[in-house]
Amino acid sequence: MVVLASVAGLGVSIYLTAVHYAGAAPACPANATINCEAVLSSAYGVIAGTLLPTSLTGIAWFSVNALLWTRPMPRARLAWSVAGLVTVLYLVFIEIVELGAICIWCTAAHVLVVGIFILALMDRQG
Amino acid sequence: MPAAVIGGLAVVVVAFLIYRYYVTPPAPAPLKPDATQLLVTSLTSLPTSQLDAIGLGSANQRLQRVSGKALLGSTGKPEVFYLGAEYCPYCAAERWPLIIALSRFGTFIGLKTTSSSSTDIYPNTPTFTFVGSTFTSQYVDFRAVETSDRNQNPLQSPTSADQALVSAYDNGGSIPFVDFGNRYAFNGSTYLPDILAGLSWQDVATALQQPDSSQSKAILGSANLMTAAICKLTSDQPTAVCSSPAIQALEAKIG
Repeated sequence: MVVLASVAGLGVSIYLTAVHYAGAAPACPANATINCEAVLSSAYGVIAGTLLPTSLTGIAWFSVNALLWTRPMPRARLAWSVAGLVTVLYLVFIEIVELGAICIWCTAAHVLVVGIFILALMDRQG
Repeated sequence: MPAAVIGGLAVVVVAFLIYRYYVTPPAPAPLKPDATQLLVTSLTSLPTSQLDAIGLGSANQRLQRVSGKALLGSTGKPEVFYLGAEYCPYCAAERWPLIIALSRFGTFIGLKTTSSSSTDIYPNTPTFTFVGSTFTSQYVDFRAVETSDRNQNPLQSPTSADQALVSAYDNGGSIPFVDFGNRYAFNGSTYLPDILAGLSWQDVATALQQPDSSQSKAILGSANLMTAAICKLTSDQPTAVCSSPAIQALEAKIG
């Protein structure tokens, strides 16, 4: 299940990366409070100091996570998922406090990270 | 265990929302009419040499060539059509260069200052509203539709022809949308509004007097791009505006 979640997260991250390179329009959506374009076109849409989209970190995280879950490494899985959770909390802070905009696709990836964290926690305790 | 984790995360998210509520400053009161007029005058009397030196500046190139039946205004001249809303921070950003560009071809009367929504991304971006203003020019017509005020209350409604125009080039219906005579169009902003964050209208006007400021490069660069598009509609009239090397270079760029 975790590997499937990782693949789903990988898919979302790849999609967000594609949208970034396609040129996310800095615009207000016609009829929605959820605004992926605003988030992706903001200064936080790229890794600080680079022009690389933040979603690349999602690609990296989900790829490594999928790999970890194919091996008997419960400690590493938990540590990796904690790192993912901390990153998610930072990104949600940015969306809510700094940007005042939510990207539904980013939220989908965040939910997958939280779910993987919970499963890693349960796996470690089991 | 999962419930505890989810509950904890929910508390954190609520804390973020509360924190945002308290750190977002209230919108500044709009300027009085005489102060607004002084502000507009300072924007529209920037030296041509400064505008030319900036060229495209840091403006992105969202402007695209389009093809369709020529868009003519109420006086039969080529029309520049703007669709936006007062709450929208990207519209807030785009009105600055649009006013500067159009003022090179005519005169605005009745512009008022406002700010974008306090609860949206880039809150309280200083800007103007086109509601209640008029634009007169011997070269080009301008028509603006502001669909909502800064609190998202309805203001003006686009016509079905306006909707068709927007749908033709902007399937998502995102704003701002600007069409230059149906020869060029773009949606979204040509620069990010973050460079206006925390500034007053006068701060922005002062920054535009400084050629090296990020505001100059973004706003005046965008204004030059729009000027080039308008020059294409007016067959390069007035020559004092359209014959400058910077505008000619941008006209070649946009095709």
